Amino acid sequence: MNIRRRTFIRSTGISLALPGLNIFADDREGAIGTLQPPRRMICICTPLGLHPDNFFPTQSGKDYALSPYLDILKDYRDEFTVISGLAHAGMGSSFAHQASASFLTGAPGAGRPGFRNTISLDQFAADHIGSQTRFPSLALSGEGSGGLSWTRTGALIAADNSPSRVFARLFLEGDTKDVQEQIRRLEDGRSILDDVRDQAKSLTSDLGREDREKLEEYLTSVRDLEQRMVKDESWARKPKPRVNAEPPKDIPNAADLIGRTRLLFDLSHLAIQTDSTRLITIMLAGSSFAPPIEGVSLGHHDLSHHGKDPSKLEQLKIVELETMKTVRDLLVKLKQSKEDGNSLLDRTTVFLGSNLGDGSSHSTKNLPVLVAGGGFQHGQHLAFDANNPPPLCNLYVNMLQRLGIEADKFGTSTGTLTGLELRQG
Amino acid sequence: MQTSRFVFLSALPTTLLNVSTLKSSAVRNAANVTSTYIACIAIVFVTSIIKVAEADFPGKQLFTEHCEKCHSGAKAMGGFTVSSLADDFTEKQNRELWLTVLEQLKDGNMPPKEQPRPPVKDVQSVLDWITTQAENAERVRREIDGRVVMRRLNRAEYANTVRDLLGVEVDLADLLPLDTSTNGFDNNAEQLHTSSFLMRNYLDAADRVLDEAIANEPEPWIQKKRFDIREEKSVKATGSVYRHTDDGVAIFATWESANIRVTMWNFRSHVRGRYRFRISGYGFQSEGKPIAFRVTAGTLKEVTEERLIDYFAVPADRPTVVEFTEQLEPENRIRILAEGLPALPPAVEKIGADKYTGPGLVIQWVDVEGPILESWPPPSHKAIFGDLKQTRISPERFEVVSSQPMVDAERILRDFARRAFRRNINDADIQTFVARVKSKLDQNYRFEQAMRVGLKGVLVSPNFLFLREQGPKLDEFALASRLSYFLWSSMPDEELFQLAAANRLHEPDVLREQVERLLSDPKAKAFNTNFTGQWLSLRAIDATMPDGTLYPEYDDILKTSMLKETSLFFDEVLKNDLPLTHFVSSDFTFLNARLAKHYGIPGIEGMEMRKVTLPTDSHRGGLLTMGSVLKVTANGTTTSPIIRGSWVLERILGTPPAKPPLDVEAIEPDIRGATTIREQLAKHRNVESCASCHRKIDPPGFALESFDVIGGWREHYRATGEPRQVNGRRVRFWNGPAVDPGDALPDGRSFRDIDEYKKLILEDKDQLARNLTEKLLAYGTGAVPSYADKPQIETIVSRLRDKNYGFKALIHEIVQSHLFQTK
Repeated sequence: MNIRRRTFIRSTGISLALPGLNIFADDREGAIGTLQPPRRMICICTPLGLHPDNFFPTQSGKDYALSPYLDILKDYRDEFTVISGLAHAGMGSSFAHQASASFLTGAPGAGRPGFRNTISLDQFAADHIGSQTRFPSLALSGEGSGGLSWTRTGALIAADNSPSRVFARLFLEGDTKDVQEQIRRLEDGRSILDDVRDQAKSLTSDLGREDREKLEEYLTSVRDLEQRMVKDESWARKPKPRVNAEPPKDIPNAADLIGRTRLLFDLSHLAIQTDSTRLITIMLAGSSFAPPIEGVSLGHHDLSHHGKDPSKLEQLKIVELETMKTVRDLLVKLKQSKEDGNSLLDRTTVFLGSNLGDGSSHSTKNLPVLVAGGGFQHGQHLAFDANNPPPLCNLYVNMLQRLGIEADKFGTSTGTLTGLELRQG
Repeated sequence: MQTSRFVFLSALPTTLLNVSTLKSSAVRNAANVTSTYIACIAIVFVTSIIKVAEADFPGKQLFTEHCEKCHSGAKAMGGFTVSSLADDFTEKQNRELWLTVLEQLKDGNMPPKEQPRPPVKDVQSVLDWITTQAENAERVRREIDGRVVMRRLNRAEYANTVRDLLGVEVDLADLLPLDTSTNGFDNNAEQLHTSSFLMRNYLDAADRVLDEAIANEPEPWIQKKRFDIREEKSVKATGSVYRHTDDGVAIFATWESANIRVTMWNFRSHVRGRYRFRISGYGFQSEGKPIAFRVTAGTLKEVTEERLIDYFAVPADRPTVVEFTEQLEPENRIRILAEGLPALPPAVEKIGADKYTGPGLVIQWVDVEGPILESWPPPSHKAIFGDLKQTRISPERFEVVSSQPMVDAERILRDFARRAFRRNINDADIQTFVARVKSKLDQNYRFEQAMRVGLKGVLVSPNFLFLREQGPKLDEFALASRLSYFLWSSMPDEELFQLAAANRLHEPDVLREQVERLLSDPKAKAFNTNFTGQWLSLRAIDATMPDGTLYPEYDDILKTSMLKETSLFFDEVLKNDLPLTHFVSSDFTFLNARLAKHYGIPGIEGMEMRKVTLPTDSHRGGLLTMGSVLKVTANGTTTSPIIRGSWVLERILGTPPAKPPLDVEAIEPDIRGATTIREQLAKHRNVESCASCHRKIDPPGFALESFDVIGGWREHYRATGEPRQVNGRRVRFWNGPAVDPGDALPDGRSFRDIDEYKKLILEDKDQLARNLTEKLLAYGTGAVPSYADKPQIETIVSRLRDKNYGFKALIHEIVQSHLFQTK
């Protein structure tokens, strides 16, 4: 059993000097800076789902037989857990695609009139551990600027769909003049924010309550950005990490799901490896185009609405198998990269899932979920009752705690997910 | 009762509202309201309501006897406890929780059917009580906050505003994510949030806009050239489908997948800008018939790097020039693709292009001129700096200079801020920016560099990013903005501004004149696109790609024609003030040859869309039977009466059905032909808890089953099967089960098909008008109308009745209404 530090403090009711309590040696991430190995998280959403018959194993527990999709990962069977039966509370099939907005937030009723989103898992984590890296978090997307990351006020964070642009931000160091220019831009930016903040304040007096809340949201955004820019400035003075990789070339063809996914995954690996960020969200493309893969002639979205047509199911399988291969290659890269004698995979929770349990029926239940790495005990199929599922947010609490964040609640969680334990030693 | 029309009833959160969130936000709101005088008054007012509420609440017994058993304690069903309901209806989340209760009771979902039912009159008195409380709370809210909360510009409005402010068209899609439209429209003030990420992007967007507006580069040269198509390498292929004639090249076939198409590689855009094209061609061996073609532009290196400019057609044998202008990025090219030619390339190649006698398209030449510059520096540059001199600061860079920097800085900022803030401004509005420019100049910034910091400040100021509306009655400038963002999705122009400055805009006749003027301006296209794009979901036209096996006839030209049909039809009804019943049923539409063929309407040649009187047996006319609407309400493979039925109730009738309980799974489509959707749906209608809604949803859905996923008329469903020949084309679909489009409305009136269904819903014209009034108010003001607005909406509807339900009359009524002119 894990004695959680927080539980201990609570039960004694005393504020303790935390460092030095050796009995908590396994479980003291978070507060104790340098002693802690860095913990990371990559969250991936495949917005058209993964065909459940091909994804979920039929048996549960340790000795399950690999499903066709999981067979791609067979060499890494002990590095991941597949979880069935989970769902977000408060989602329905009428807004199944819109439910991607809540994929990492768990806010009920995405897409319904009046819906307001809330903070996503990565941003919640970034509030705790984001300041340790040059980029508190990275929001990426395979297509368009809609992603998975949302602020506390329910504002969507524009996701970057250009790997080359992100690569430049992360790794390309300009000459001294460029750095000076960058610092000047940040200074100008802060001056401007300072000015508009004054202006916003002068507006506040003659506003009603709701208007003032809106303006307050604006002011908070300005203040947060100013603080962020101060940090950006000090980072701008430090050299960027060097990587042994060619800058990626963006793939202009929006239909090229697999090519684009690979670029995003490779980039994510580099970002983690260089500790440029510890939190990444990736919304994969889910377009109406036919991906350029041998044997696929129909649009991806259309394939997901297969209506049980065998030829469509066959093509859908080809597409999704290719997606699974990209996931495998990401896991391999993380596993092969070492940090302090550990593999990066052990320090990085890779979470793959979808807002759709079944693309054809638009079901939002029994979501496909795969958790790899992160130092959890893996090699199992955790099967929950899809008719009476624990909230997916329970898993998010496990993931937050794994990052060393003392959270016992996130979104609609009712606790942690039973059966997903930390690896001993 | 028609209550479900009003969004704050259908805008219900799920029953899983988190109680602790509720409390903490109540605390937060309470903290917010204590600081101003107005809010204090409100609290006094609110308190008095609560007292009344406690005394009058008629539901205590009902809740104790019928609800609390399951809805209490830590394991309350659905996470809802009766004790979490508070008296304060001014607290929004609490109010919404009550409204959830109201919906559950009203629809009879609660108590569950196996439990004893409370007496109908008790339920009714609880319903009435909740309704009254909600209405009162809404009135209180209006007193303090107005109907519409402070509204940020959305992505489209931001882009249009900088276009009209500076005369630049900038792509900002990567910086400004698409705003949510879960309340029906993406200009809903409540839903438009701000974050530090967005602020950073606004800073970057301002840079991009200023870079585009300010001319720092040397004046570009203008290319002006005639390109002879015979010189193009793409028409020189051997064994080809091209015949070189004395005056051009005859194209006999196009086959995109085999790269048989005419790309103008000899032309490339050397800089970003607008280019003018003139293409000369004619129909060849086409027996007097016009020949169509399509022109695309882009880098043309990838499928997705090619966008449609438009479809054109040229008459037979008579060389004809088509002309258009297009905004191009550097290194863009154009491509010409003949449309609708009967032969595929192998058939032509077999005969040989020189001997082939079938129809073709002759293209002679393409004239290109561009970039088209009105002046240098361009108007966008002058819009900021006027005639200030530029100087060369490096071989490739020019910058504006000033001999009296602070005088110029103040003048420029004053003028820019006035337009950007859309109102008269005072010194306080600009003094921070002026002071900033001064401090930057003191830090040895060059004049233009310092100015850019000030200008950027204006572009991220809340005065620019938000519409400033104060209540109760909007001032003239706010009214000008509300009007221009309604009809143009952009800032007011100088005429509106002058009227506002002269305090004349609110005059009914002036407003009427301005509505007419705005609607006849090309910028009104934004109203057409953004309103129909969301009201009818046309923005989702590409969300699915129809299954090529089942629907091989679907192509880009069909899709484009469908969208044009709806857009032109909407415009026609609007411009001519036709009765809005045309949206349900009309004797005309807009067609070209391609769409007419799709609809089975004979006698239409050529690619240009034109107004056509429909034959009586066409089954077309009105929005419901348009290809565009039928496509967006289907996925690429199947149609669902539930989805289309809900769509009709929600968008056309304005009586949205309750959403299904969360534990109901959607029907899994099965296109193998074994069961029909009607059989699958039968089980919904046989279960009473489902039937109460499905009696309303299914009928329009069944009526529309006569149309397939791309809006083609069908008597049978298509099912996949072994290949066979249809009209000389190899297809892989067969007739599946027969379509049965007949049904009956909940009140028992039956119909046999879509034509009869339309007649039935046309009987209640007021309801159609009411629906559009609500939609237009939501779109036009940025807030969904609520219960409290019902009397005013009824007034608009009754006035419209006297105006023969004219659609333009409705726009006028909206603009003239108290709702539109107050915050």
